[in-house]
Amino acid sequence: MSWVGKSLRRKEDDRLIRGKGLFTDDEPADLHLYILRSPYAHARIRGIDTSAAEALPGVACVLTGQDVLEHCDPFMELAPGEAAEIKDYPLARDKVVYQGEPVAAVAAETAALAMDAGQLIDVDYEMLEPVLDAAEALKDEVLVHDNIGTNRTWQGVFEYGDVDQAFAEAAHVVRIGPMHFHRYSSTPLENNACIAEWTRQGTVEFLCNNSFPGFAQQLLAPGLRLPVEKVHIRAYDVGGSFGNKIWNYVYMALAALASKKAGGLRVKWSETRSEHLLASGHGNERSYYDTEVALDKDGVITAIKSRHIDDCGAYTRYEPLGCVIWSQVLPATYKLRNIRIDFSQALTNKCPVVPNRGYSRMQQLWFMERVVDICAHELGIPADEMRLRNYIRDFPYETPNGCVYDSGDYPAMLAKAKELIDWDKWVAYRDQARAEGRYVGIGIGTTLDSGTNNFGQAQIMNPQLPFSGNSEACIIRLDFDGNVVVTLGTGPSGQGHETAASQVVADELNIDPAMVQVRTGFDTAWNTYVGHSGTYASQFAVTGLSAVHGACQKLKAEMRKLAAFVLEAAEEDLEFGVGEQGPEVRVKGTDQFMNYWALANLVNNNNAVLDESLADVTLNVRHVYRPPFKVPDVERKFGNLTLTYASQLHIAVVEIDPDTCHAKILAYAAVDDCGTVINPQIAHGQVHGATAHGIGAAIMESFDYDEGGNLLTSTFSDYCPITSMNIPDVVYGNIQNPSPFSYSGAKGMGEGGGAPLHTMSAAVQDALHGAGIIITDSFVSPPALHRMLQAPNREQAVSVD
Amino acid sequence: MYPAPFRYHRAESVAEAIGMLSELGEGARALAGGQSLLVLLKIRFDEPTDLVDLARIPGLDAIEQRDGEVRIGALATHARIARSEIAAAIPIVRDCANGIADNQVRSRGTIGGNLCSGDPSCDWPALLTTLDAQVHCEGPAGKRSLPVDGFVEDLYATALQEGEIVTGVSFALPGPGSAGAYVGFKRCAPAYPTTSVGVQLTLSGADCVDARIALGSSGLTPIHATAAEAELRGQTLGEAVIRRAAEAAVAASDPIDDQRGSPAFKRRLIDTLVRRGIDVARRRCAGEQVEVSHEYY
Repeated sequence: MSWVGKSLRRKEDDRLIRGKGLFTDDEPADLHLYILRSPYAHARIRGIDTSAAEALPGVACVLTGQDVLEHCDPFMELAPGEAAEIKDYPLARDKVVYQGEPVAAVAAETAALAMDAGQLIDVDYEMLEPVLDAAEALKDEVLVHDNIGTNRTWQGVFEYGDVDQAFAEAAHVVRIGPMHFHRYSSTPLENNACIAEWTRQGTVEFLCNNSFPGFAQQLLAPGLRLPVEKVHIRAYDVGGSFGNKIWNYVYMALAALASKKAGGLRVKWSETRSEHLLASGHGNERSYYDTEVALDKDGVITAIKSRHIDDCGAYTRYEPLGCVIWSQVLPATYKLRNIRIDFSQALTNKCPVVPNRGYSRMQQLWFMERVVDICAHELGIPADEMRLRNYIRDFPYETPNGCVYDSGDYPAMLAKAKELIDWDKWVAYRDQARAEGRYVGIGIGTTLDSGTNNFGQAQIMNPQLPFSGNSEACIIRLDFDGNVVVTLGTGPSGQGHETAASQVVADELNIDPAMVQVRTGFDTAWNTYVGHSGTYASQFAVTGLSAVHGACQKLKAEMRKLAAFVLEAAEEDLEFGVGEQGPEVRVKGTDQFMNYWALANLVNNNNAVLDESLADVTLNVRHVYRPPFKVPDVERKFGNLTLTYASQLHIAVVEIDPDTCHAKILAYAAVDDCGTVINPQIAHGQVHGATAHGIGAAIMESFDYDEGGNLLTSTFSDYCPITSMNIPDVVYGNIQNPSPFSYSGAKGMGEGGGAPLHTMSAAVQDALHGAGIIITDSFVSPPALHRMLQAPNREQAVSVD
Repeated sequence: MYPAPFRYHRAESVAEAIGMLSELGEGARALAGGQSLLVLLKIRFDEPTDLVDLARIPGLDAIEQRDGEVRIGALATHARIARSEIAAAIPIVRDCANGIADNQVRSRGTIGGNLCSGDPSCDWPALLTTLDAQVHCEGPAGKRSLPVDGFVEDLYATALQEGEIVTGVSFALPGPGSAGAYVGFKRCAPAYPTTSVGVQLTLSGADCVDARIALGSSGLTPIHATAAEAELRGQTLGEAVIRRAAEAAVAASDPIDDQRGSPAFKRRLIDTLVRRGIDVARRRCAGEQVEVSHEYY
């Protein structure tokens, strides 16, 4: 009997649905913070007059750039070279560099009062020309950060194999014009929030919804000029993160400063939706230039060269890590060995980017899927056939840059998706519709969700960074009353960690998951954690559950040793199970047993009876899981960057209404392979959510700026996240190729790899290729398709030799 | 988000509301369902000194049909109108009421508030223009009724005078052989339409006796497409006639460039929606049951 693999109902839902969750904004505070933001994308601050705000009754304090200079150090920069000198503080000092940048903050007795006071602050701006396009920014004519003298944050060439020779030997060379992956984000249900208290003891206590607090702590402490030991962070229930909440340490610091200035009162900051859209962090925007693809006579891709420019917005928060993270999936799901990609990243006067579901990898996967589909269409090879000729087939597979794809079966996923969607029927439908002059297309998107990353890849970006490997911690103990209590360093934001961890423990101890208490949430004082602790990068199923599994082994060893002593039995004769008195350790084939209370009581209350040989038994054990990583070869940009590679294959059938230009989805299938599935219902939910999210990104969600750097989509009236009305019926399938690298065979799978973006681009191109259209932008909304239909681009977008 | 401070007043009668609004002056706003106004307040796009809440005024939410006339009180919510016998009898009203935003908004938002917001993206002004409705107002100078066509004078500006409120709207019950359709295209439920079109036809066989066409989200005000109507009136509905009507409607529109689309894209949509509206109205005239509303992405 195994609990892993069962659709156990989520344990956390009862608590969450009944309003017993612990969300930051629900907790009380003494003061509320309002942040005054820049209305301009680029402007010099000539002066700030806060006197009227400070005079308003109920206002505790007002913060400006002067305060942060006095009390803060700039946040640590990850970048090497010039970009390392970017000064990133919680408030702008002499210049604002994106619309929405915090300029001043007011702490007052109520949130409304804080906002009233904020409006009384008078800021004297001198407007400057903004730079909004990444390629333009690289000319360094307008500088985002004057002191670093350039807008380039990073540049590197990723070259593997013999690219020139492959092109010399190619049967076909396909050249593709500029392509663009658009800017969007995830709009979690819960916005960013934190409560900070600068205590009399000189510690700072945070309650927040940061999703990578292990990292935030290491940024906050030096930023606030405190030892790490004095920065206490708690993050419990989080209403969605998708990576976006990794970066909100900037606001945590601001709330802490406000608390310090207000004499230690607790200060709450709770972001509004408009603030979230305007300034909380967008996903990476990327452009692809000079793309050339070499293929053999059969349409097998032998080489690719291209130049990519990533737009990171106005600050490098977590960036320029994205300049390397994409290379986890360098060749996507394809077997080509010769690749040269010149990768740069530029600062622009737009909202800083932050990790967003599929972070940096889906931009590369979308690019590769575009390449495959464009080549297929131009060479007259069906999209499914093109993929079968190019898919990687043998696993584990070492990519040209040393990443090891652990397991997978892409042809089997394709076959399954075709079966689920009824491929032949739709091909016939498409061909018939085309004969009638209608725009029907079928698109395939194959994608990878690389999980459990090796932080050593940061050293490819900056060899000076003291990061590598990965880890997660778990403590498991038998409490006085015999309860099994598990604490973790992860803070779930909807992934069901409580349930999944219970399933693992239940299997290990041969008990019911209901008998396991999992205390999720990050807590520097109460729970265990490591520097990598958090919920990001599709890793809980591997890092979190491996930590739980490892801790179970240690606990079981102690329980066995203790029970063997008391029951005077050999350890190998003992077994774990549930008896009449609940969970127990018993002697096989006898009526002798010890229940958990008796075991725990021996250690905690009744230990004079114990032998010296049991001195190290505490029934309270910690395990840190460390994946088997090595530091990559920085010079060659070579090494295993990720432990597991879940894969997804989606197929969409669309019909484009020539009148509304809407690509209506007629059928949609999503096949997922995340190795061994811990909880099928949760996995299905993840796939469904990621699919909806990706379809929304493809047709509805885009952050658009005007030429002045004003965000045109800063409310839900303009930025429309996908709703249930827009989501097609998704036929779901699953295949399981267990990972050889995780103890259970599971792989992380929370990000979905952006599959719907690739799939929708492919389907729309399939529908419109006959009309002379090549999809070169990831946003295929009706207005975008209208533009394309008005000006077919195939002549300029692609050429074949 | 928090509105700037304001004083709240609750009116118990139309007379009291008019008195309060007159006395409080131009800093005061009338509050009905709040689905447009409160949003503006919360993002501080508008900072009125006073809100006069009309919601408790008795009798202002009646929906009734009498002597061939339909009268809808200003405080009737979209949801109540959608569920009313009027909506069941006049499909174009149902198309409109059911298509507005989402359940939450429909349950709170009112037809009067929708009309008075002066927002060209609102659906009721276009629908009521299609039905040639009258707007009933009451103010310090007494009662008056205005044609809805022209009531919204400019972006966010209506014909209401200071202290005046809308008490209801009325329109003639469509006669035999007359039916309409209200169709829109939008991104998602809570978003405003990219464009919307109302069509009301009176047919005798295939001959168009009368036609009314109005456009929403197609300019700075709701647009009464009279030239398009003239193309249909007195004609036998055929492909060429419908094409000319659609072209005339497009010519009457003046869509703005925004996140919903370019003017060229919106003109294409208007053309499409006029054709669809005519098609549905024609089928309904012939007694066919057709369900339409806004089409989503």
